[in-house]
Amino acid sequence: MAEKSATQKSAGIWTSILTDAHFWVPVIVLIAGLLVLQWIR
Amino acid sequence: MDPLSPRVNSATRNPKMLSTSPETARLRKLQLVGILCGFGAGAWLGAAEAPTKLVKLGVSPLVVSLLMVVGVFLARWSFPALIRGTGQMRNDIRQAPHLIVWGILAGCLWAVANTLTIFAIRDIGLSIAFPLWNINSLLGIFWGYLLFNELRDAGKLRWLSVLGGALLMFTGATLLAVASSAQSPAAHPFRGIAAALAAGVLWGTMYVPYRKAYLTGMNPLSFIAFFTIGELGMMLTLALLYGGGPDALFHQLELAEPVLFWLMLGGFVWVIGDLFQQYAAKYIGISRGIPLSNTNQLWGLLWGILVFGELRGLSPSLYAQVIGGSLLMAAGAGAIALSSVGAKEHARWKQAAEREAQRYKVDAAYVQAALSGRDAVTNASSATSTRNPSDSDARPAPQSSRSWLDYLLVIAATTIFITLTVLARAPNLSLNWPALVALAAAMVIFLLAGAVALWKTTRFN
Repeated sequence: MAEKSATQKSAGIWTSILTDAHFWVPVIVLIAGLLVLQWIR
Repeated sequence: MDPLSPRVNSATRNPKMLSTSPETARLRKLQLVGILCGFGAGAWLGAAEAPTKLVKLGVSPLVVSLLMVVGVFLARWSFPALIRGTGQMRNDIRQAPHLIVWGILAGCLWAVANTLTIFAIRDIGLSIAFPLWNINSLLGIFWGYLLFNELRDAGKLRWLSVLGGALLMFTGATLLAVASSAQSPAAHPFRGIAAALAAGVLWGTMYVPYRKAYLTGMNPLSFIAFFTIGELGMMLTLALLYGGGPDALFHQLELAEPVLFWLMLGGFVWVIGDLFQQYAAKYIGISRGIPLSNTNQLWGLLWGILVFGELRGLSPSLYAQVIGGSLLMAAGAGAIALSSVGAKEHARWKQAAEREAQRYKVDAAYVQAALSGRDAVTNASSATSTRNPSDSDARPAPQSSRSWLDYLLVIAATTIFITLTVLARAPNLSLNWPALVALAAAMVIFLLAGAVALWKTTRFN
């Protein structure tokens, strides 16, 4: 029961993170930075 | 429900209530602490580069960066672990587990940005690269405004102070960078400019997770733990990818053995600067905290000129540039420091914090306590108890004691540092010792003043 609740809570946190526009701003910038690094090196 | 919450929520809707409540006095105190931390961050972050100047071996810049990050990681687990034990960190995670992701993400952004600066300096030189990546403070202001309600309802004068101050600092930084670098290699100018701009964007965006964490209530000491994990993981990956694989990296690390101490000392100094920066971001926001931390360039220049004898025999016009640039940076920092957060703007910050609390289902009492610089965990857990709100205004709640794990971590990290000290080779450089002592004393003064102010006002919350 407790295990199920913990799993649900964890899934809920990930849903909140992945649907948060604030999360995608740094993620997109990080990916773009890695692409620039790959290009210039 | 925390007895403070109804009052705070009404104040959010009606900012005028704040101006007549004890909250105003508390807010002013927190802002002064934040400003002090911003200047302290500048002094310590600027000095972090000094030990790396002692490294004259043919070690790859990527390895230099990696070793500094290892120093940062170790330093996090040395004396900061004594300030607030790992038990407190576990409490933070229980309250806001999603912030682990934000901490690691911020560390990854830092590592990629730092690596980009290495390539930018190689391609276009420091004088052009530095002002380009210094756009991070302008971007920080933009993200602060757009995502976290900073500078909203702040009034024209405060806008003018912050934006004008940031622009003054940017101009000053440009003058200093041009004066402090005579080299102008331009093998790949376009690639170099792209790298420097990308570094600025990454560093400016890195403060999004910072602000996110502090609006939700995480303690800077907990946040920096996850930050260093992300930073070390990403830096190690980059060093392996771009350094020629594990064997080549190991060979470089062997070459660096005599200078390991100096590089890790740089990391140690950096951690203290970054901790100050984190507290500045927490109490004055990223739109003010980042520009103040960017005074690190001024301190870096002071170390270069006074201790390492750089820029000797310059032309009078270059000296004028250095003095002019320094004055502009100081004026910009002063303008930002004087732009306090008013009651209306602070009410907007609280709205942003409420959004975070609702989205991530974080205890409102925990979030509000953290925003007010109080022990968030204790406040959240004792929210149901009857308490006079004015008591918590005056006295932050006590901290729990450290565990055996904390002492073990401190002993392990300190032992590694002592071993590296024994292995270290004394630098063969002529240093201006009186200047070194004076600058080190200034750093210690900032450290003591900042630590005492943080302890008295927030108990490092």
